[in-house]
Amino acid sequence: MRIIVLVKQVPDTTEVKLDPKTGNLIREGIESIINPDDRHALEAAISLKEKTGGKIIALSMGPPQAVDALSEAIGMGVDEGILLTDRAFAGADTWATSFTLGKAVEKIGGFDLILCGRQAIDGDTAQIGPQVADYLKIPQVTYVFEIEAVRKKSILVKRRMEDGYERIQCELPALLTVIGELNTPRYAMVGGLIDACREKAPIKLWNAADIGVQTCDVGLEGSLTHVIRTFAPKSQRQGEMIEGDAEAAAKSLIGKLKENSLI
Amino acid sequence: MIRSNPEELIRKSIAKFVDNELIPSAQEIDEKGEFPMEMFQKIGKMGVFGIRYPKNKGGAGGNTTLYCIICEELARGLMSVAAITAMQCLMGTNFLFHFGTKEMHEKYFLPAMRGEKISCFCLTEPEAGSDLGNVSTLAKKTDKGFVVNGMKTWVTNGPVADFYTVLCQTDPAKKLRGLNFFFFPKDTPGLSASKAFDLLGTRTTQISELAFNEVHIPHEYMLGQEGQGLNNLLSILSEIRTMTAALAIGLQRAALDDSIRYAHERAQFGRTISKYQLIQAKIANMAVNLEASKLLTYKATRMIDNKEECLKEASIAKYFATESACKAGDEVTRIFGAYGYSMEYSAQRYYRDNRFLLYGGGTHEILQPNIARWVGL
Repeated sequence: MRIIVLVKQVPDTTEVKLDPKTGNLIREGIESIINPDDRHALEAAISLKEKTGGKIIALSMGPPQAVDALSEAIGMGVDEGILLTDRAFAGADTWATSFTLGKAVEKIGGFDLILCGRQAIDGDTAQIGPQVADYLKIPQVTYVFEIEAVRKKSILVKRRMEDGYERIQCELPALLTVIGELNTPRYAMVGGLIDACREKAPIKLWNAADIGVQTCDVGLEGSLTHVIRTFAPKSQRQGEMIEGDAEAAAKSLIGKLKENSLI
Repeated sequence: MIRSNPEELIRKSIAKFVDNELIPSAQEIDEKGEFPMEMFQKIGKMGVFGIRYPKNKGGAGGNTTLYCIICEELARGLMSVAAITAMQCLMGTNFLFHFGTKEMHEKYFLPAMRGEKISCFCLTEPEAGSDLGNVSTLAKKTDKGFVVNGMKTWVTNGPVADFYTVLCQTDPAKKLRGLNFFFFPKDTPGLSASKAFDLLGTRTTQISELAFNEVHIPHEYMLGQEGQGLNNLLSILSEIRTMTAALAIGLQRAALDDSIRYAHERAQFGRTISKYQLIQAKIANMAVNLEASKLLTYKATRMIDNKEECLKEASIAKYFATESACKAGDEVTRIFGAYGYSMEYSAQRYYRDNRFLLYGGGTHEILQPNIARWVGL
C-alpha cells in the first residue's frame, strides 16, 4: 500500500502568546512542531505499513526549516519526505495550499491512500484535507477515529459525529482526515532521526517548477482569500458566581434568566 | 542541500518524551523505589540504548555528543532513569559490544539495545574503589576457562541485571596489569546479588553487592585481550566522566526551571520573591554555573567525537558540572523555603539526587589532585 501523509510544521501554540498591542502571535523562541493531528495521521500510516507493507511518503509545504518535520516523520518510520518549498508558495490560503499539495500528489502519483490531520493548530480551518481530495477527485472521509479494515480496493473506517459515529466504506484511493482518538503516536527512533539528517537522507525539495505550477497560481498571488487583520477578540462578557446551596442557587439562576428574557 | 541538525532534532525529540512521559511520572517512580521497567522499555523502543554504536551492528549510529544530549534531557526529568540509561548505553554494554562473541552479541547485546535485557557494570569492591589496583575478585585460569571468587559492591542494576561486565584480577602480582573484564549472564551458578541498598537519592536505582562463589565461566567470557582491562577501562573513562557531567547539567536545568517558576509564583510582602535581589543572585549563579557546565561538557564531547585525548577536559567538566548540580540542588531548596523540605515538591529530589553524581566516574577528591597535576603541579 502506498500512503501519502500530509504534514504541516506549526508553532507549538500551547506556548504561543498574543502581543496585546498588535494582536499578533509572538513566535519568538517558540518551537516548531509537527501539527498534533498530523502526528496521528503519521502513526496511522506507519501502523498500516507494519500490517500490510508498502511505502509511506510524508509531504509538507513550508519554509526550509520545515524539513525538521519531515526528518521527525522519517524518525517515526516514514520512508520518504518531500518538502514543497519556494518563495512563491509563501502566504498561501487554504485554496492555494490545497492546489499546491494536490499538484505535488499528482506528481508523486500511484497512491492508495492520503492521510492527514483533521486541522492544524495554527489556522484551525480543517479545509486542506477536504480541498485536496476535491482537487484530486477522490473520496474523502473526515474525522476518522478508527480504521477497521483495509481491503484491496476499499477501506472501512469510523467517523466521529457529535452524537455518535458513522461507519463508512469507501473506495481507494481515498483521503482520510484523522482525529487524536485514532491512536497514540510513537516517538521517533533516534537512529531514524540521525539517518534523516544525513546528506543521503530520502528527503526531496520541490519548488514551483518541479510540480509544474505557475507562480501566479500559488502562494499569496494564487490565494482567493486575504487576511486583512489578525486580532484577539475583546472579552466583553462578565461572569457571575451565584453563591448559596444548590436549591437557592437554582432559584436565583432561573430568576436572572427570566429577568433577561432568556427563558 | 537542506538537512536537519541531528543534535537539535534528537534533543527536541527526547525533551518531548521527558516532558510528556517522564516528568509526569517522576515522583511516583521515585517513591516506588523499584526498577522503572516500563520507562526503561519505552526508552529502549526509541533506540536510545544504541546511540553510541554503529547502525550496521545494532546501534543508532550516533556519537558521544548525542549520547550526552540524551543523558542531559533524561536527567532533567529523573536522575535515576537517566543513570540507568547512561549505564545501558555505555559501561554496561561497551565491552560486550567490542569483545563479545557473535553468540553473546545476538543473545545479550542486541536485546539490550532494544531494552529487553538489563546490563550492569561492576568495578568497586569493599576494599577497592578509586584504588583499582586493590581489586581482589579473582578469576583463576583453568583448562576449561576461569573460576571466579570475590565480591563486588555498589553494583548499579545488581539485583535486576540480565548480564554483568565485571572487572576481575587474574594475577594479583601484576596489580593493575592483571585486571581484566569478564562477562557473566545472571543465571551463572555461584553468582548472587544481595538485596538492593536503601539509598539517599536516585531511589529507583537498584544498587547491591554481587558475590562470586566458585563461578565457572568459559574462556570466551574474558572481554578483551588478557592484561588489557585497565587500558580498556581508560578507553571509556573520559566518556564516563563527560556523561556524568551531562547528567549534572540535566539536574541543574530542572532545579533552575523550578526555581524560576516558583520565584514568579511565590509572593511575600506584596510582591513575588523574584523581585528580591537575594533570590535573583541565587538564580543568576545557577544560570552562570549551568552555562559554564554546558561549555565544558560539550567541549569534551566534541573532543571525544574527534578522537582527541581529553581526560583532563572530561574530568574538569565532571568536577565543575557536578559541583554546580550540588549547589543548584541546595539553592532550589532554599528558594522554595520550607516547601523545599516537603516531599511533595521536586526540589527535595534534586537535593538528594545530586549526591549520586559525586561518586561515579571518580570522586572529586581523586579528580582535584589529578587536575592540579595536569595543569603543572
